[in-house]
Amino acid sequence: MLDQLGNGLLLGIIISVASVALSLLYGVTRIVNFAHGEVIALGAIATLFFSSPVDYRVLFLDKFSPLGINFALSCLLAVLLCGLFGGLLELILFRPLRKGNVGNIAVLVVTIGLSIFIRHLYLLFATGRVQNFPLELERRQTYLFFDMTPRNLKVLIAGIFVMILIGLLLTYTKLGKAMRAVRDSEELSSISGINSDNIILITWISSSMLAGLAGVFQAIINDVRWNMGFLILLLIFAGTVLGGIGTSFGAMVGGFIIGILVQVSVGLPFMEGHTEAKNAVALAIMIVILLFRPQGIFGQKERIS
Amino acid sequence: MNSSIISKRVIFTIAITSLSIYLVFLLNPEGALRILINLLTFAGIYGLSAIGLNIHFGWTGLLNFGHASFMGMGAYVTLLLMPHAAGREGEVTTTGLPIIVAVFLGIAAAALFGLLLGLPAIRLRGDYLAIVTIAAAEIFRLVVRDLESLTGGVYGIISYTENLQKFRPEFINNLSLNYEFAPSQAWVGIIAWISIFLTLILLKRLNNSPWGRALRAVREDEDAVRAMGKNAVWLKLQSFMLGAGIAGLSGVLLAFNYGSLETTVFVPLLTFYVWAIMILGGVGSLTGPIFGSIIFWVIISETDRLAYIFFENANGQQLAGFRFLLVGLLIMLLMIFRPSGLLGKKEELLLDVK
Repeated sequence: MLDQLGNGLLLGIIISVASVALSLLYGVTRIVNFAHGEVIALGAIATLFFSSPVDYRVLFLDKFSPLGINFALSCLLAVLLCGLFGGLLELILFRPLRKGNVGNIAVLVVTIGLSIFIRHLYLLFATGRVQNFPLELERRQTYLFFDMTPRNLKVLIAGIFVMILIGLLLTYTKLGKAMRAVRDSEELSSISGINSDNIILITWISSSMLAGLAGVFQAIINDVRWNMGFLILLLIFAGTVLGGIGTSFGAMVGGFIIGILVQVSVGLPFMEGHTEAKNAVALAIMIVILLFRPQGIFGQKERIS
Repeated sequence: MNSSIISKRVIFTIAITSLSIYLVFLLNPEGALRILINLLTFAGIYGLSAIGLNIHFGWTGLLNFGHASFMGMGAYVTLLLMPHAAGREGEVTTTGLPIIVAVFLGIAAAALFGLLLGLPAIRLRGDYLAIVTIAAAEIFRLVVRDLESLTGGVYGIISYTENLQKFRPEFINNLSLNYEFAPSQAWVGIIAWISIFLTLILLKRLNNSPWGRALRAVREDEDAVRAMGKNAVWLKLQSFMLGAGIAGLSGVLLAFNYGSLETTVFVPLLTFYVWAIMILGGVGSLTGPIFGSIIFWVIISETDRLAYIFFENANGQQLAGFRFLLVGLLIMLLMIFRPSGLLGKKEELLLDVK
């Protein structure tokens, strides 16, 4: 069971970063964003496009050749692109919906449509092939009581660092306070001189950048697929719900718990020969949590009903 | 005043539906009938499923995104109770129940699964229920895929169509010789449309009954229902069971239409197809999903040629991708610009929950 711990931590960091992003967005805008997975995939696919060697033409329908930029720079550009994408989504789609007083459930259905639409754009333009970043293969090494490749360890550390940073930003900066104010009441915060439209725009941008980062992580640890976002989306929901939807700290912890549980459950006796069903374990936990403690581990009760 | 507006919309809807069927003949000079029978069969099956979903969402206001699992439950239970072959080796089971009994039990199993999935609905609000139902449907799919000894797993179930096809009337065979269509599919299609007809008669009665009114009252104001001494929780569960049972029947028909059953059929995208059909036809409308389904399938089957404009030598994957692209776009645009679809009533839409 313990040999899966390293994998669990890695899956945990992906889900954790993505869950924080989802939770942030839900907290401020009340949107359950089913298109979240597609922003994650955008991070990975954009990085692949920026960083792959120029002559590597199989990828994008033979029509576009990749850019062959330095890998770290590619990751940065991809995350920025995701932020831009999230900002555009808010400006073009979700702000008009909000102004038009469209209800939350209608917006939820819109995000589902959006998710299907974008995901199949990826299928059309990035093909259905499983791709890998142009990185050298590394051997797994043992650190303390888990083993992973040095590169994945760097990803893990970077992820934890980013989340601490986000936590500090949300707790101590004016922006973080404004976000929480808008979350609690958009009207009251407007009266207090907070430009809620701007706060929501910034939330969309930062949430999408985090999602893109999660996608880069996922692609470094595993691979790039057109539907990678949707495959992991339900686990992200599980992480978010477990920690308490709308709470950033809860989402961090919840994401890690789900990631570790999913990987460690492979070692459970009744799971022998059923490794494919490991996601079912996480989803079942989520349903049980929702039934008996819908506010999650760290959530507050009044946000639920 | 009000009724004249509704009848105008009905006329408009029928006109659009006829036009889209005409379009099939226009675009396919050869083999139009075969294509039409294919898409009408799919339209019937998905329309039936959308009618079930409409009971959940349109009547009761329950946000169900696990509809594919009800269809799957119906299909798997029915097929496994009849003579079939399953698994990697194609292990043959020659004994089984008669098809009527098996289908009945399949519907019952789907309804029971609906009851189980409905339990969270008692406690959870809209968007949470959406997450729970989609997750439960994925659990169902993953478990079915992994229980290879029972369900055939990824290798699926085969050799079961004869259970239905041996009852095929002779006249379909005769017609198929003259007009070149698949008689087995036509038979499934006929049964699908008969099922729709019978379901609609049943639902029409239920809709106008005290039970139907109470159900819609749950959607509008649950507290008021409680105050009237009705059991709102039990009403929600009944709604979940009824809709799930109808979905179960459509799942059985889908399995007979495909001729072999795999777990990949019941992915979340199937649910979203049905959602698109329900929204297009009209949330809360009894007959809307039927028209929605026909128009939807005409769009789906005839827009393939659009894909060739963008991709000169489109392969199967690209064609499928293009199809789903349109489904996503359709859901999005309908929800933004016309959430009541063709025949839905705006005042009955439960979309403004904050």
